[in-house]
Amino acid sequence: MSNDTSRPALEADPASLAKSPGRFAPLLSHPGLMTGAIVLVVLVIVAIGAPWLAPHSPLKTDLMAAFAPPSLTYPLGTDQFGRCVLSRLIWGSRVSLQVALSVVLLSLSVGTLIGAIAGYAGGWTERLLTALTDVLLAFPGFLLALAIVAARGSSLESIVLAVSVAYVPRVAVVMRAVVLTIKSRPFIEASHAIGMSHLRILFRHVIPNAMPPVIVIATVSAATAILAEAGLSFLGLGVQPPIPTWGNIISDGQTAIINHPLISVSAGLCIAVTVIALNLMGDGLRDTLDPQMRRQTGARMF
Amino acid sequence: MSRHLPRYLVQLLGTVIGVVTVTFFLMRAIPGDPALYMLGDYATSDSVAALRAKLGLDRPVIEQYLLFMQRAVTGDLGTSVVTGQAALTEILHSVPWSISLAVSGMAIAIAIGVPLGVISASRQGTWVDTAVMIVALGGISFPVFWIGLVAILGLSHWAGLFPTLGASSEKGLWTSLHHLALPALVLGVSVAAYIARLTRSAMLEVLSQDYIRVARALGVPERRILYRLALRNAMVPILAVISVTFAWSLGNAILVEVVFSRPGLGSTIMKAVLARDYQLVQAGLLLLATAVVLLNTTFDALYVVIDPRLRSR
Repeated sequence: MSNDTSRPALEADPASLAKSPGRFAPLLSHPGLMTGAIVLVVLVIVAIGAPWLAPHSPLKTDLMAAFAPPSLTYPLGTDQFGRCVLSRLIWGSRVSLQVALSVVLLSLSVGTLIGAIAGYAGGWTERLLTALTDVLLAFPGFLLALAIVAARGSSLESIVLAVSVAYVPRVAVVMRAVVLTIKSRPFIEASHAIGMSHLRILFRHVIPNAMPPVIVIATVSAATAILAEAGLSFLGLGVQPPIPTWGNIISDGQTAIINHPLISVSAGLCIAVTVIALNLMGDGLRDTLDPQMRRQTGARMF
Repeated sequence: MSRHLPRYLVQLLGTVIGVVTVTFFLMRAIPGDPALYMLGDYATSDSVAALRAKLGLDRPVIEQYLLFMQRAVTGDLGTSVVTGQAALTEILHSVPWSISLAVSGMAIAIAIGVPLGVISASRQGTWVDTAVMIVALGGISFPVFWIGLVAILGLSHWAGLFPTLGASSEKGLWTSLHHLALPALVLGVSVAAYIARLTRSAMLEVLSQDYIRVARALGVPERRILYRLALRNAMVPILAVISVTFAWSLGNAILVEVVFSRPGLGSTIMKAVLARDYQLVQAGLLLLATAVVLLNTTFDALYVVIDPRLRSR
C-alpha cells in the first residue's frame, strides 16, 4: 500500500522540506545582504555597548566647551550645550534600533495574524478585514503616526504604537495575498483530509509558508520605522530631550547648521547608514528567499 | 468606463465613510478631556461643561459618532481652538501652498524616477543599472528633512542659488517660483528614488513575459521592444507606483514644509499638533486621507482607460 506509486504524489509542506543544510547558502553569498547584515550587527553591538563605547556622558553639559571643534577629547566636537556629539550619536542608536525592533515585532505579529485570518477564512471575515486595511492604507503613514503621537503624547511607546498602526495594514495586505496562493495548494487540502483543525493548519502550515515575503516587508518596515522616528523626533514629537535620538540631534544642530554643520550632518549619516543596511538586507532577502512571491504580491509591498 | 463608474463611486463612498470612522475613533483615543484641554487650567467648571455640551462630549460615544458623521457631511469639521475659525476653512486656506509643492515635487520625481527606472531595467546587470540603483538606495535611505537641511546649506547658503527659507511675502510669480524651487527639488529627489526602484521592478516584470521573448525571437529591434511593447505594458504598474508614492510623499511634504518654514498643510497640522488643537489635527488628517482616497480611485479608473484587458472585468 505504502509503495503505491499510481496515486498522485501529495506535495509535502515546503517549509518542512526546506530545512536542508544548503538552505542558507544563497543568503551567505549575496553581497548586499551580507553587507547589510554586517553593518547591522556592528550597530547592535554599538547600541548595546553604548555605556562603555561612548567617551563621555551623552547628557553632560559643559557650556564652556559649547560648539567645540573636533578634537581628541571630543572626536566629533560638541553641540550648543557642550555635549559630546559622538557620545550622543552612540546613545542615539539605542532609540532607533529599539523603535525598529519593536515596530517590526508588533506590526509583524498583528499584521500577519490579520492577513492570515483574512486570507484563510474568506467570506465576510475577509471582506471586513480587507475593508479595514484598505481604509487604514488610505492614511498617509507618516501623517497617521503624527496624529497618533499628537493624541497620545510623545514617548517611546507612542512612537512604536503610531508607526506600527501605520504598518500593520501593509503587512496584512501582503500576508493575505500570499495566504490566498497557499490556501489552494494540495498540502493544505491534505491537512484537511487527515482531520487537522483550522487553527492548527493556520499556525503549522499556512503562516510558516507565507513568511518569506512577509520577512522582506518587515525589513523594509524597520527601515521606514527608523525614518519615521527620526522625522517625529526632528519635529519635536519623538522621545523627549535631553535623551539623544538621531532625529533630535539633527534638530538641535539645525539652528547652528551654517557654522557647525557637522552635528546635523553626522546624525543624518547615522540614520542613512542604518536605513541603507536594512534596505540592502530587504533587497537581498527578496532576491534570495522567494523570487516567485514577489511577482504575486507586486508593488504593493511598499 | 461609464459602465464602471457606479462601482467606483460606491467604493469611493464606502472608503470615505471608513476614513471618517477611523479618524473619529483615532482622535477619541486622546486621554483626558478635550474641553478642559482646549480651555486651559483656569477654566470654570461651567464653561467646561458648556464647551463639552457644544462639542457633544457629554453624550454617548455612538451618538457623538453619528453627530460627527452628520457634521462631516455638511462640511463642519469643528473649530480651531487657536484662531476660532472653522477648522475646514483653516485647512483649506493652506491647501494651495501644499498643492503647489506636492504637484511640482511629484512632477520632478516622475521626470527623474521613471526614465531612470526604465533605463536601469533595460540594462539590467550592467554598471549603469548598478549605479542608478546605488543612487536610488541612497535617495530612499536619507531622511528627507536632512536632505533639505543639506540642500539649504549647500545650494542656498554656500552657492547662493536659492532663498534659504520660507515662501515669498511679496507677490509675483517669479519670486514664488524661486522660493518653491528648492523645496520642490528636495521633495522630488527623495520621491524619485522610490519611483525609480519600483519602476525598475515593474519593467523587469514585463520584460520577463513570454510575449517579449517571442518578440526577441522574431527579431523585433530591441528599441522597439522596449518602448512599444514593454513600456506600454508597464504603464499600469508604473501608474500604480505613482499613486502609491503620492500618498507616501505627503508625509515627506510635511517635513519639507517644516524644514523650509513654508506655509502649507504640513505647517498648519504641525502648529495644530503643538498647540494641541485637536479638531484642527482631525480635520487635516481627514482631508488628506480623503484626498488620497480620491486620487487612488481616479488612478483605478485610469488603469481601465489605459489597459483594455482590465475592461472585461
